[in-house]
Amino acid sequence: MTTSARELLCDLMPSFPVRHSGQIYTDTTQFMNINYGDVIALKERNFLVLRDEAERRFGLEDPKYWVKRCRELNSGKRFILKLVFHEKFEQKIGPLTINCYRSPKKESRILDLIRGDERFMQGKTVLDEAGNPVRILDVISGKSLDNVVEDIDMDHRTYFHEKFPGILEKFIGSCEGIKYMHDNGERHGDVRRDHIYVEYGTGDYRWIDFDYAYESTENPFGLDLFGLGSILLFITGKGVHDAVSLTSSPSGLEFYSSLSPDDFFLIFSHRVINLRKLFPYIPESLNRVLMHFSQGAYITYETIDEMLPDLRQGLKDVSTL
Amino acid sequence: MNFKKILLAVDASENSSRAIEYTGVIIGDAADFQIELLYVERMPERDIFPDETSWQTACEEEKDKIRKFLDQAKSMLLNRGVRPEIVSIRYLKFSDFYGSPNDVGFRGVANQIMHAQQEGNFGTLVVGRRGVSKTEEFLFGSVSTKIIHHIKGCTVWVVE
Repeated sequence: MTTSARELLCDLMPSFPVRHSGQIYTDTTQFMNINYGDVIALKERNFLVLRDEAERRFGLEDPKYWVKRCRELNSGKRFILKLVFHEKFEQKIGPLTINCYRSPKKESRILDLIRGDERFMQGKTVLDEAGNPVRILDVISGKSLDNVVEDIDMDHRTYFHEKFPGILEKFIGSCEGIKYMHDNGERHGDVRRDHIYVEYGTGDYRWIDFDYAYESTENPFGLDLFGLGSILLFITGKGVHDAVSLTSSPSGLEFYSSLSPDDFFLIFSHRVINLRKLFPYIPESLNRVLMHFSQGAYITYETIDEMLPDLRQGLKDVSTL
Repeated sequence: MNFKKILLAVDASENSSRAIEYTGVIIGDAADFQIELLYVERMPERDIFPDETSWQTACEEEKDKIRKFLDQAKSMLLNRGVRPEIVSIRYLKFSDFYGSPNDVGFRGVANQIMHAQQEGNFGTLVVGRRGVSKTEEFLFGSVSTKIIHHIKGCTVWVVE
């Protein structure tokens, strides 16, 4: 049962237009009904709903109706509330399609695990009146790593010498964050370059979104490792270099034609992973890390522990160029 | 290692059925072999279920399926002429896994199979193979590949 939020909003946020006052929800099960102007009441805390979150990929907005941008009435602070939504869907990874599940409990458990660790988004879980675990997440002021890298306006050589060492160092910190999860029996589940947020001011790299879960496999950390390899490729190359980007010029086409299958990413078979052929100043040590993710790799990484020493050596060599 | 002591590691897959058939045909009614059918427990991932009840139900269904499969596996061997007295069945429960939960790969089926092989002094290990692509192997792993890479002092039959 819901009641009007008008009185509560008049008391705690008099600047909010009365005509937009909605309902007070103590049970968030029907999250589709909760919209702008409604208030989600959790124990002693009240959150005014501002809008649904949306994921922006490839220029399109995909609304996430179970994720609400809110302002806490008592403190005036902004928060993101993630409501319970159990979903099973197919995820395409290169040539493969796998079942993926959204697990609120997994995310709550990880939020408890990484509390106070600045390598991750922070938040806590509160049960609503119906027992739904609502995740109250701090808003990270910043932008995603892919946007940060793409917005650096310089040629690759200058980027690689001036900006990349700092980016790689922070990325290694992010890898150590994922290792911490793995050491504690958890997996991130959705390691992507837009799931690292670079915080304004501090420049800290922080992982977001831990609610993806998968069926058991023999290599439990494979998906996370693939994601890290994919991010490493992106930041090293300052973007993706593939059939589309390279073949748009005659010289690029000639270069692309000279590559062998071993020069490409194992998962995305048109993406060049042997970046040293494209940018010869990339140290061999760093390129070798990338080549663990190539179609020609005989040995691949099974754990982050195996990858980290190689990455650190790569950083050392990049920093002394 | 006694190569006539055979560890036949199975799950309820078609690949396992092929491994069982193969072993049955090779051993036939020979008297001086021992075959242990081993299943390493892999319950459905807890996080993919919305609540405890549905997960428990799925676990019970999985256990039932495996127990039936193990009985069928024994029958398949006997149908190939294998003597009943040389066949045993072992269901390795998660609570009985070898090693410590903090060990790398503790939950891995390959890891547990290799522990069981060492402990039981099995000279021959038989596994089925899914025939996964390199991409799948990287992302999800492969029990047979891990065994081939890491096992010591034991002959491995990988049945395609």
